[in-house]
Amino acid sequence: MNLTIFLLALFDGISYAALVFIVALGLTLIFGVMRILNVAHGSLYAIGAYVTVSLSGYFLALGFAPVFAFPLMIVSAALVGVALGGPIEWLLLRRIYDKPEVLQLLVTFAVFMILEDVQRLVWGSQPYFEARVLQALGNVTVFGVTYTVYQLILLPLVATGLLLGLRFFLRRTVIGKLILATTEDREAAQSIGIDADRVFLFTFMVGAVLAGLGGALASPTTSILPGMGADMIVLSFAVVATAGLGQIGGAAVAALMIGLGRSFAVYVWPEVAVLVPYLIMVLVLLVRPEGLFGSPVARKI
Amino acid sequence: MSATSTSGTPLLETRDLVIRFGGVTAADNVSMQIEAWRNLAIIGPNGAGKTTFLNICTGWLKPQQGKVFLEGEDISALPPRKIVRRGVARAFQIPQLFTEHTALENLLISAAAREGLRNPLQSLHRIRQRDEMMHLLDLVNCADVADRVVVELSEGQRKLIDIAVALALKPRLLLMDEPTSGVASSQKHEVMEILVGALAEAGVTSVFVEHDMGIVSRYADEVAVWNAGNVQLRGTPEEILEHPDVIRDVIGEEVA
Repeated sequence: MNLTIFLLALFDGISYAALVFIVALGLTLIFGVMRILNVAHGSLYAIGAYVTVSLSGYFLALGFAPVFAFPLMIVSAALVGVALGGPIEWLLLRRIYDKPEVLQLLVTFAVFMILEDVQRLVWGSQPYFEARVLQALGNVTVFGVTYTVYQLILLPLVATGLLLGLRFFLRRTVIGKLILATTEDREAAQSIGIDADRVFLFTFMVGAVLAGLGGALASPTTSILPGMGADMIVLSFAVVATAGLGQIGGAAVAALMIGLGRSFAVYVWPEVAVLVPYLIMVLVLLVRPEGLFGSPVARKI
Repeated sequence: MSATSTSGTPLLETRDLVIRFGGVTAADNVSMQIEAWRNLAIIGPNGAGKTTFLNICTGWLKPQQGKVFLEGEDISALPPRKIVRRGVARAFQIPQLFTEHTALENLLISAAAREGLRNPLQSLHRIRQRDEMMHLLDLVNCADVADRVVVELSEGQRKLIDIAVALALKPRLLLMDEPTSGVASSQKHEVMEILVGALAEAGVTSVFVEHDMGIVSRYADEVAVWNAGNVQLRGTPEEILEHPDVIRDVIGEEVA
């Protein structure tokens, strides 16, 4: 393997890991706090991408510069979190927190299926592509390998910022502490007057925003088409399970392992590239069923 | 403050509470009046409905019949967190602390919950109430363990911190389920001494379930003897002690 191929694989892996991590972060936050594995997270990712492409397509056609797509990504993510995440928690999940896990999984899977069809209804099955944004920040050349600034610098920067930001948010801020307190003991939280329902609603919306943001950021790098949500939920679940459910920092390491494993496989042994993330997950879980950073009993995020 | 509860209106009043679990009647037409500034001890055998009564007053259980009034206002339909915000706090038999946080953080979380989220992104340790919370920890003799994680603390310390957490909510009434259970018997009086002092200084009326008649007669202004889902006898500790038969029936021990 020469240096060029090595660097390409490395950069592919890092930018891909950053995207998967952002989505996995939302998934693991929701699981860590609410103990719900939200399959519909994949749809929120896909819809984040669709909304971004629609909005930025509209504004770019009006003559706006491609960088204008960045605020639109944030708007799209917020829309997904509030307009979809809010009602999902409020209308459905709130009723099933004390139900068996199988039922919870079925409900979020049903939401996923519904939202998949909604995507087809609204955006059809033709792929969308909006690559102008990808070039908006220009390119960077490292040892002769040219890569977009967007993928090599912006995505990892956003992912790192979100990781640190979420950790700070949970461990230091008032609302973060109230979330952790509610996670640790819902009854005790209510007995000191914390509105646990609102804490869960807020947490779910934050998780949904992260899914939408993942989709928004992914939109310039991939064609947007039906099924992208399914791919992403499986992959981000692999990341979350490999790290240990609810492990925020661990998810970053697992995303890098899986992203790099996959991208190197693409260059070295392309036939198995799609399998690599799951092979990594299976190997890790065989040795440590609770995940790399999970502990068998503790329940914290 | 509410300390000036208008004479005539009790701080907390229940009327005709009824609750049955299967065939067991845990509250059988309970009508109780709890006066401000009169610390009330509840004694009685297991299964008499003492904890059920506390759970109804704090909204954790909804009675099948009857109502609860806080200073004349009907609070029967409110969820627990709203009742807490109106000034009725609760300390459980097993301290309900956030064990992965420090003692001080537990109080700060409580203060933040009380104040609502005016500035949600502020650092928890920088909230205005920090000094007030340190004072509360001091009040329960736990200032020296403020920065220790709760899992590391002794049961007695947890009990006291649990009370401080309840006081951080600035309640008018504090309902405590066996505040000295789990505490070594040699330390029970010490814990109660600190606790009663803290309550008096915070101006909080207390209702506490207790088995130890020594503690009851020393720290309660009034005693309600519970039996089979209702109050069998009520009076000052001295008056209750004049009924050794009741105490023997109810607690199952002779009183010296």
